[in-house]
Amino acid sequence: MHFSEDDLREALKRKDPGEGFTQRLMARVNQSKAEVTTQLATKKVNGKFLAWWMQRPAWAMAVVAMLLLAFGIGGYQYSEYRHAEEMRIARAKQQKLQQEAERARDQAIMALEIARAKLNHVLQHAQLQAEPNDKIRRERL
Amino acid sequence: MNLATSKLTRILVAAVLCFSALRGYGQDAKLQLGNLDRLSEKAARVTDVTLDGSLLQFAVNLIEKVDAEDKDVEQLQSIIKNLKGIYIKSFEFDEASQYSKGDVDAIRSQLTSPRWSKIVQSVEKRRNEYDEIYILKNGDKVGGVVILVAEARELTVVNLVGDVPLDKVASLERHLAPGEKHSDKPKQKKESSHDQE
Repeated sequence: MHFSEDDLREALKRKDPGEGFTQRLMARVNQSKAEVTTQLATKKVNGKFLAWWMQRPAWAMAVVAMLLLAFGIGGYQYSEYRHAEEMRIARAKQQKLQQEAERARDQAIMALEIARAKLNHVLQHAQLQAEPNDKIRRERL
Repeated sequence: MNLATSKLTRILVAAVLCFSALRGYGQDAKLQLGNLDRLSEKAARVTDVTLDGSLLQFAVNLIEKVDAEDKDVEQLQSIIKNLKGIYIKSFEFDEASQYSKGDVDAIRSQLTSPRWSKIVQSVEKRRNEYDEIYILKNGDKVGGVVILVAEARELTVVNLVGDVPLDKVASLERHLAPGEKHSDKPKQKKESSHDQE
């Protein structure tokens, strides 16, 4: 590709940046500065927090131990609660079954008592009816 | 193809018929007592017991656990363990003639099969009392018992399904009634209950 002298002159000619160029430039410079400051501040805080714990390992261990203990106790209590609840439900079921069985037993005994009474009642009636006939038969003989 | 299909159909029909016949054979000791339910409104005292299947098994299991050395309990066990169902409907009325002859005939009509035998009948026409005992023969064993007590102010149907030892039922001790079993002096209670008779 060949550029003529005129082309180069045209390309490198001074151009007007327009009005408010200085303000725009300064505004962008200020914005970049602010972003950099915020990032630096955050890093500083995190670093400080970690550094505090790094400098006190006993405290860190104690906090971790306490957290583990709290979780352990909580888990144990929850499992105990679940176990007690399951036992309570099982006992209630057992009790209900026992009550049903007792009711059935009482009903069976009552039914057999009625059967006994009625059976003896009928047999007694039949016997009473048979007795006079026997007497008459014997008398005839 | 058609021949095979018709054969298969015949076999299936025969199987279904055999199955239903066997089912009926096992269940015919149980009477249909539903027609008596309407008497509940007129009766002064109603006793309705339906005990079969799992409920009866519950009762058997519980009776087996309780005081196995007690002779009365032993006797009760020996009766109940062979039973398949206990059905009782008993109505006591304040006034006479509260139930119809049709109500009793509906029960009797179910006992007309040759397998049912009337072993005891007591009729007192002057007092309008008709008491009957039927047993269902199941080979050499008893398949069921029906005690029908139709008196002026009472109608009771006791239907025991299964191998019922009638002699043992008749000689059951009275103090086996619920609530009396665990009393401290069962014999005294028994005597007093006899006295009340």
